[in-house]
Amino acid sequence: MEWLGLLNYAVFMAIFICIYALLAIGLNIQWGFTGLFNAGIAGFFAVGAYTSAILTSPPEAGRVGGFDMPVPVGWAGAMVLAALVAWPIGKVCLRFRSDYLAIATIGIAEIIRLVIKSEDWLTGSARGITGIPRPFGDLPYIHSQLAYLALVAGVLLVVYLLVERQIRSPWGRMMRAIRDNELAARAMGKDVPSRRLEAFVFGAALMGLGGALFAHLNRAITPEAIDPMVATFLVWIMLILGGSGNNRGAILGVAVVWVIWSFSEILTDRFPPEVAVKAKYIRVFLIGLMLQVVLRFRPEGILPEPQRGAAAKEKR
Amino acid sequence: MKKVHLAFAATLLGATAMAAPAHADVKIGLLAGVSGPIAPMAPPMIDAAQLAVQQVNEQGGILDGQKLVTVVGDSACNPQNATDAATKAVNIEGVIAIVGPYCSGAVLAAANSVTVPAGITMITPSGTSPEISRLDDKDLVYRTVPSDDFQGRALARTLLERGTDRVAVAYLNNDYGKGLAEAFKSEFEERGGEITAFAAHEDGKASYRSDLAELAAGGADTLVIFDYGDGAGLTMLRQALENGFFENFVGGDGMKSDAPIKALGAENLTTFTASSPVGETSQALELFNEVFKAAGGDPDAIFVTTSYDATFLAALAIEKAGGDKTKVAEALRSVSDGRGEVILPGEWRKAKELIAAGTDIDYEGAAGDHDFDERGDVPGAYALFKVEDGAFVVDAEMK
Amino acid sequence: MDFLEFVNFYIVPGLVLGSIYALGAVGITLVFAILRYAHLAHGDMATLGAFVAFAAVTLAGVPLYAALPIAMVATALVAVGIDRLFYDYLRERPRIVTVMASLGVALMVRSVVQVIWGVDAETYTRGIVRPENWWGIRLKDREIATVLTMIGLVLCLQLFLMKTKWGKAMRAMSDNPNLALLSGVDNAKVVFVTWMIVGGLCAAAGFFLGLNTELKSMMGWQMLLPMFAAAILGGVGRIEGAVIGGLVVGVVEEVSVMFLPSEYKAATAFAILLVMLIVRPTGLLRGKVL
Repeated sequence: MEWLGLLNYAVFMAIFICIYALLAIGLNIQWGFTGLFNAGIAGFFAVGAYTSAILTSPPEAGRVGGFDMPVPVGWAGAMVLAALVAWPIGKVCLRFRSDYLAIATIGIAEIIRLVIKSEDWLTGSARGITGIPRPFGDLPYIHSQLAYLALVAGVLLVVYLLVERQIRSPWGRMMRAIRDNELAARAMGKDVPSRRLEAFVFGAALMGLGGALFAHLNRAITPEAIDPMVATFLVWIMLILGGSGNNRGAILGVAVVWVIWSFSEILTDRFPPEVAVKAKYIRVFLIGLMLQVVLRFRPEGILPEPQRGAAAKEKR
Repeated sequence: MKKVHLAFAATLLGATAMAAPAHADVKIGLLAGVSGPIAPMAPPMIDAAQLAVQQVNEQGGILDGQKLVTVVGDSACNPQNATDAATKAVNIEGVIAIVGPYCSGAVLAAANSVTVPAGITMITPSGTSPEISRLDDKDLVYRTVPSDDFQGRALARTLLERGTDRVAVAYLNNDYGKGLAEAFKSEFEERGGEITAFAAHEDGKASYRSDLAELAAGGADTLVIFDYGDGAGLTMLRQALENGFFENFVGGDGMKSDAPIKALGAENLTTFTASSPVGETSQALELFNEVFKAAGGDPDAIFVTTSYDATFLAALAIEKAGGDKTKVAEALRSVSDGRGEVILPGEWRKAKELIAAGTDIDYEGAAGDHDFDERGDVPGAYALFKVEDGAFVVDAEMK
Repeated sequence: MDFLEFVNFYIVPGLVLGSIYALGAVGITLVFAILRYAHLAHGDMATLGAFVAFAAVTLAGVPLYAALPIAMVATALVAVGIDRLFYDYLRERPRIVTVMASLGVALMVRSVVQVIWGVDAETYTRGIVRPENWWGIRLKDREIATVLTMIGLVLCLQLFLMKTKWGKAMRAMSDNPNLALLSGVDNAKVVFVTWMIVGGLCAAAGFFLGLNTELKSMMGWQMLLPMFAAAILGGVGRIEGAVIGGLVVGVVEEVSVMFLPSEYKAATAFAILLVMLIVRPTGLLRGKVL
């Protein structure tokens, strides 16, 4: 019984890590490879989650949709709509540099969050959307969890392979060139704004997919899930800690941060019961402290960006 | 409040010091929103739950004299942390039942992806969203707090009976505030009342004066606030009082908190009333208040009665089910279905003996009788409270 | 609605709220200008400052306004300590790493506040204060104090930056760090002074937020995004810009209720920010492009 419990816990963590890994890879495309400071992950996560929810859930009075469509349609729809939302945002905002882009995207994500919280006809407002089908959801607990894990792990693997291929292609080289020296890239005749927009939209689509996978896991999506702390800043910590510019680093970062996040509670549960509540506050302190420790010893990330091209060959 | 909390912890120390061997403990999970937006509400709610546990342990323990212990998990009021905490409680700690989570979104996620598939019974003391009623929950999800719908409607009827037929409504833009406000509005208008303004607000802003000015522009002299008394509701109440926007203030159960009394002073709250669920035998509430106060707790804190009842009910159900987690849900219905010998808050020894003898029991709690309907909801009875001598007292029963 | 009502219920609260935003935004803009990163622990440091003042009032019985300088000094020292412990060794790294470190610090500071002071809503003084009537304009003494202190602190800061040696060194670091270092500016000292000032401003923002409403452990975090919006709106690195940005955000938030459903009040700060970035990407006053 004990090992079954541990297995269940491990499977849950793995599902969670796969979903957040999609967000981290999406962010990696935007920040790690292109240098776009997108601090509005929660917005695209939300668009994806709600799109898939509306497409696949049963009809509901007073709210748009409930189209009862198959789950894959919902996931595809999530990616498409997240990309469609990202496109005009990128078109307007990508000309802002760095911190300006960050605050602009935070602002847009907050506006999206308020719309989702307030518009009954679209998102069910504060109540959220329930009755979202979960693939293999009718199986017994552990089977259903394992099946969902296989599904999200499969999705993650496909995404990872596709992104890796893209990064190694001439497109990926060009992106890094733009990130590292925009002037030189421009001088070589590269269409910098278009390439940036591509990366922004592509990354946003992955974030939308992550949101959809999260909504189907819980069979429900409510506005609490798109709080900036858990849906934006957490992903940033994961990527920077793991190593931006390196997809394997991104995935590893997700795993490390989530393990710190989740394990810290098991740790503080060992405190005597009369300080049980304080222990929860101390847990947040420990999370912060462990982040500092990782940053202290691996400031370039656990798996830094590999050096590519001639310089790397010389080193070998 | 902090000192109170410490004192409370100290009184519990006696009970927890004599720990039985770990493997014999019977565990229930307490998924509390300790961090996150409702952090101020969590500590008294946990204290109330611990009081129930303490009473069980002092009065003969659970099952074969085993010790009941709680595993506190932080659901942080969001699905991400709630599912994580629920997974740990169910799989690592091996809890038999769960009390919580505190926020509706967290309840939905934890129930759907963890507790229902795992066959664990869940009782939330504060998740008020109507979506919880509609969960496909295999009869495993319950709540001791009435759905917003009941309370909003009851409050509307009571206000009209008391001759208040023009009000402005301000509500917090979350499932709690919105649910109450909409139920209130539909009942109030159906029965001929007039709502002059109806506006949502976000939590955590520093000023609500322009909101209040807009609300007051309709000309009503009564403001109905559906918010939390230790959150934006307090800020709003303060700014309305200071600027003289309204004469009378009415709140839901979230506003029946000691925070307004402490911060604004009872002398300024003479025109403030708040509804809150009570049992039909109000003796149950008095009993709880007395014991909780003696243990250093604050009976006026938000959702403490529902939190206590949820925990006590969970313990009764575990006892009745003989510790078999697959039978807890069924047992929960049987110990609260309105049939059998009445058990009041704290009467653990009596309940234990009756269960052992095979007699039916019926728990009547501090926050209502908890006769669960087929969706796991409770209808709830309410009373209107007013502030007197620095504490809330019943002003009128509500129908 | 008459004019006085508009001033009393929309403009005055907007200016008071805006003054609190301004105090936060000035600190944020200083960190942006001199240290060149977004400091995400700013809101939680404001919470800490507010609670230090609370401790001074309730435990030591210090008069209300005397608690402000105490909190400012204490928070300034904490800010310097945090810099030494968590930011200093990351100075040569990409800025984003320090931004993440500041997020970790935000969690830690909030945790410390919650462990020491708990999570209940607290107030400096019990009871309510009704506004006084000044020729039709209704003001509370604490509102006057909020706005005047903000103006006073910003004027002192401007004087300091213009007239003193360290202030000039800070401006030099902000304009061109390489040149400043070459001309013999002591980097460590500039960083020290910057954090002293930023910490003090944080405490002042938290104190006045707590004074005008209540003290809550999440209050600073909830103010963080509008404060950032105010700093960027005014033009990064511009002190006067941050003040104007703060006041604009405050007033627009309050006035927005007249035109928009009130649930969108929190969105207005970002809406005007986006419009401004599109029309004038450097901020109201010409800020730096980082």
